[in-house]
Formats: sequence, structure tokens, C-alpha cells
Amino acid sequence: MSGILIFAETDDGTILPNFWEQVSAARQVADPLGGGLRVAVQGSQIKDASDALKSGAEQVYVTNDARLGEPWSEAHLETFTALCRELQPELIILPRTLLGMEIAARLAQRLDAGLAQDVMTMQLAEGKLTVTRPVFGGAASATLRLTRPPWIIVPRTGAFAPAEPLSTPKGELVARQANLVDDALKTRRISRTRQTSKINLERARVIISGGRGLGGPEPFQLLHEIAERMGAVVGASRPPCDSGWVDSGMQVGLTGKTVSPEVYIAVGISGATQHMTGCSSSRVIVAINQDPDAPIFRMATYGVVGDWKQVLPGFCEALA
Amino acid sequence: MKIIVTLKQVVDPLTPVSALKVDGARRKILGPPDTPPVINGYDEQALEAALRIKEEWRDGECQVIALSAGTGFDLDVMKRAFAAGADELVLIEDTALDTWDVSFIVRTLAAAIKQLGGADLVLCGRQASDWDNAQAPLMLAELLGLPCLTLARRVEVKGQHVQVERVLSDGIQVMEANLPAVVTVTSELGELRYPPMRARLQAAKRRPRTMTLKELGVTATPPAAVEMLDLSLLQIERDCQFVKGASEAEAGRMLAELLIGGGFIKPQQA
Ligand SMILES: Cc1cc2nc3c(=O)[nH]c(=O)nc-3n(C[C@H](O)[C@H](O)[C@H](O)COP(=O)(O)OP(=O)(O)OC[C@H]3O[C@@H](n4cnc5c(N)ncnc54)[C@H](O)[C@@H]3O)c2cc1C
Ligand SMILES: Nc1ncnc2c1ncn2[C@@H]1O[C@H](COP(=O)(O)O)[C@@H](O)[C@H]1O
Repeated sequence: MSGILIFAETDDGTILPNFWEQVSAARQVADPLGGGLRVAVQGSQIKDASDALKSGAEQVYVTNDARLGEPWSEAHLETFTALCRELQPELIILPRTLLGMEIAARLAQRLDAGLAQDVMTMQLAEGKLTVTRPVFGGAASATLRLTRPPWIIVPRTGAFAPAEPLSTPKGELVARQANLVDDALKTRRISRTRQTSKINLERARVIISGGRGLGGPEPFQLLHEIAERMGAVVGASRPPCDSGWVDSGMQVGLTGKTVSPEVYIAVGISGATQHMTGCSSSRVIVAINQDPDAPIFRMATYGVVGDWKQVLPGFCEALA
Repeated sequence: MKIIVTLKQVVDPLTPVSALKVDGARRKILGPPDTPPVINGYDEQALEAALRIKEEWRDGECQVIALSAGTGFDLDVMKRAFAAGADELVLIEDTALDTWDVSFIVRTLAAAIKQLGGADLVLCGRQASDWDNAQAPLMLAELLGLPCLTLARRVEVKGQHVQVERVLSDGIQVMEANLPAVVTVTSELGELRYPPMRARLQAAKRRPRTMTLKELGVTATPPAAVEMLDLSLLQIERDCQFVKGASEAEAGRMLAELLIGGGFIKPQQA
């Protein structure tokens, strides 16, 4: 067992930006660990695999297959497991996406590996890997020791500053086959519908989110209007997603997206830890809530106690 | 049709941080002593998914078994599974099950499922709100050699297959798996039905079936692949500056001006 293997997830043939955060995590332990860095890029019609060489990887293994063009975990897992068995890495780093987290858990069982999800910090000492991660919806932090390799970690989005790409990469691209036998697969894709507009909450500079306090889908129209006036992206807490007022892709929080904008404006959101863990690293948090005792005011930089129906029109006017 | 639903008993995740305590020696988070635990929210929703499938079958043709591994069970809480419509409740109780070691939990659940004669469908929550691992069902599927579909907002049994609508971060994916299979459920599926009074009274009289680790032949085999060294509560607090105006609308306007003045937001040119 030796070295580090990064799973680079792709979307529409392009490597997700999480990759550079994974590289940053890898660089933290690469020297003491030794054994070099390798990358696996899996997808369909992959366009930018050679970019992954700029991570300093010795090899970038590229598996192009139509069945890998979607977050189909079985197809990705079988493909990636085969590579892990061949390369025997000591440390495997996956992105904190729904696919990454899922492959991580199943791979941990297959390789009898120690797994830590949502890793904030990482340290290697005396052959053991120690990490910290939030637990209990972000209300607590746990320090975990991964006793014996192989280790699998899933870094928290935003916890590791993206690594600088090298200007003169030295490694090589290695093409691989997926070796998937359709008849042997136990799951099948039937269909997929994607949101037409690609909103990128994770990389937004300003976010305005609505919660259950908005009372229905219509008020989100007002949030969109305000967002447009200040170049922001609209997010939500879980209840509006569960109730179908907005797309689930807009959810911020533990089981939604982790965001860290310059400004996060929460409207009609109470401030449950599971929501705040997804936005607590925002530079400025603004809360608009009619309940002066709402927990969100304890985590906000600026607050207005009031009914959004009154507060937002005033806010909107000032942006004209 | 036999469905096993996994339920984990957890400290209420909506407990404010200020009311939580850490038991340093056992590396455990404790809720206030007088507040009962809850069934993990996503697991209640997995139970709801099972009950919706059961409704499609004739009486007696679909059996729903709730299964939990843990310690210090609050029977009033766990018996809500009966009240909602589960046919059986199986509890594996042992202090050793109060652990971070997911692999141990998973081996226990797998052994219990085998003891129960297997299942056509195992329904689980997408993650437990105590450690937020989102790991157990996936590892369980691997251990049992079953296909696994995750994040279902709709679960439908169609002959020898199960079809689910998965909630992805950018849309919906419909997937199918051969039965038997493991499926995890997400909150978009909807809340667990609220049982009528009569069902709740009847549930109070019913007894869960118990299993022991010894019967199941499962032992914790240290050292675990992952050990918890330390656990501490996080108190993220900021000093909130309240913006007040003559009216709420005025306060809204002042807030926007404050954010513009500080260079945090910029009005866009229309
Ligand atoms: C394991 C787990 C994972 C979870 N993951 C997430 C997640 O990823 N994201 C997430 O958001 N939640 C998540 N939750 C749910 C979370 O615990 C809370 O239930 C949720 O965040 C509450 O949403 P809310 O603040 O919109 O609603 P509520 O808590 O109901 O708050 C509504 C707020 O609106 C205010 N309000 C009402 N009317 C008005 C008005 N007219 N004007 C101004 N204010 C008004 C009220 O005062 C109140 O504070 C998770 C929970 C668990 C257990
Ligand atoms: N001790 C347990 N008993 C029953 N089910 C469990 C247990 N631990 C985990 N699960 C199931 O696995 C899901 C994910 O748990 P976790 O991997 O701990 O986040 C939960 O939502 C439960 O359905």
C-alpha cells in the first residue's frame, strides 16, 4: 500500500472544482506519506483530463464511458474499486458530493478501510491519520483517528483552499476501460431530469435564502427579484424544498449545499444548526426574522427583527 | 413482500446547542435529562415509505418489520413504529452498540436481517442525525451483497424490481434495482403518518421482539478502523448588530444601505 489516489468527479465531461480542494488536502500529507499522487478521472466525453496533471500527479487514469456520465454510483464504484485494488493506495480522497460520499462508504466496506466524511482538518503522525469533522448537525466537532490504512477521506467543501495548479506538469495520462458488464449490474438508470438553469450556490458571492417563514412558493419570486438587483443567488432552508416550493438543489445546510459567500442573507429562517453548518463560514450573515429570540440572531452579523413582508420591500427599494 | 426498516434512536437533533452536554468519557452527546430521544427523522420517513408500499398489497401479504440496534431504548418512543403500522419491532440492545464504529453496527444489522430470514427490501434513512455519517446503509448493502439506491423521495415496488426517484443536487434521477435491495430515503418523501388514537393505545400494549449480540454471534473486534479521540460542542456566536428604523420597511432600507456602504453588496445596473 502506498501513495494517494484522488477521485476526480466530472460533470458534463468537466472536472468539478472540488478537485483542487482535494489536491490541497493531499499536499498536506503527501511528504510524510510518500508514494506519490495519482488521480482517477471518471466520466463521459471527458474534456479536461490533462488539467488534472497540473496537480503534480504521476499518473492520471482516465476512464471514458457513457455509463459514467451520470452520478450512477454502482457504475462508478465498480470502475473505481478495480483501480483501487490495482494501485493499493494508502490514502483515497473523494469529493463531498452525493456521488463521492456514497462511493466512499461502499469502498470503505470493500477495502476494510477507515473512513471520515466531512473532514475539516487532517494530520499525519506516527502512521496514524487524525482528522476533525463536525457531527450532530454541526453542533459539535469530533476528532477521529483512522487507525490503519487504507484511509478514505471526504474533505468538507471549502475547508481546504484550492491548490495552485503547477505550470509544468510531469505526469502521464493513462486511458482505462470501465469493464462494466451491463448484465452483471444490479441497478439501472431509467431517466434523469436536470434543472435547466445551473445555479452555483457553492461559488456564489452573495446569497439570499428563504425559509419556512416565507409561507409558500410565491414569496421566492420576490427573493429572485432582489437577487437580480444585487447579483445574488437564491437559496433555501430544508422546509421549502421538502414542501416543493423550490427545487431541492437550492437547499443550504448539512444535507444540502455548503456555501461560504461574502454575504448570506437568511429570510424567515430560524437558524437550526443543520442549516447554519452549511453557511456558518460566510463572511457576513444577515438575518431577517420576526422572532427576536430566533437562534439565527446569535450567529448573524446584522439583523432586522420584523416581518419580511414589510422589511423586504424597503430593502428592495434601496437597491433600485 | 417483506420489508425491514432500520430505525436509530437519537438525541433530538433540534435540541439547542446550549442544552446539549458532552459525556467526555463515553464521547457521547447527551440531551437534557428530561427530554426523550427521537427516532431518527429520515428513518421515520423510511418507515413511511414502507407503509405506503404495504398499502398496495392485500392484507397479510406485506410485512413491515422495524429493526433497531442501540442501548437505553425509550420504549414509548420506539413503539411509535407499531402505532404507525409496523407489524413487528425488533430491538437489539447492548451498551456496546453505543459506538462510533459503523462497521460493528452494520455487522449487527446484517446478522439480525439474516436471523429474520432476510428481506425483499431494506429501507433506511439517508443518514443519522447524531454522527451524520450517511454510511451504514451503503456498508450494509455491501455486506449483504445487495444493490443499493439512495436518496429516494418515492419508492415503488414493481414485480421483481424496486424503482426510486432520487433527489440529486441538480434534479431528479429515476433508478431501478433488482430485489432484494437496500434503499435510503430522503426528507422530500414526506413525514411519517400520525397514527389515530386507537392505534396508539394498541401499540402501547404490544411488545418488541428482542435479540442479543450473543444470539446473533456478533462481537466488536478492536481496534476499530476509526476511533473517536475527542468530542466537543461548538458555540459559534457572533455579536449581532440590530438595524432598527422608524418602521420595518425603513429598517429594510437601512439594512440594504449598510450592506452597500460596507461594500458587501452592489446594486446591479438594470
Ligand atoms: C439530519 C438532519 C439534516 C438536516 N439538513 C438540513 C439542511 O441541509 N438544511 C436545512 O435548512 N435544514 C436541515 N435540517 C432541518 C433543520 O433542523 C430545521 O428543521 C430547518 O432548517 C428549519 O427551517 P426553517 O428555519 O426555514 O424553518 P423554521 O425553523 O420553522 O423557522 C421559520 C422561521 O421563520 C420565522 N418567520 C415566520 N414568519 C415570518 C415572517 N412573516 N417574517 C419573518 N420571519 C418569519 C419564524 O420566526 C421562524 O424563526 C436537517 C435536519 C436534520 C435532523
Ligand atoms: N444502530 C442502528 N440501528 C438501526 N438503524 C441504524 C443504526 N445505525 C444506522 N442505522 C440506519 O442507517 C442510516 C444511516 O446511518 P448513519 O450511517 O449512522 O448516518 C440511519 O438513518 C438508519 O436507518
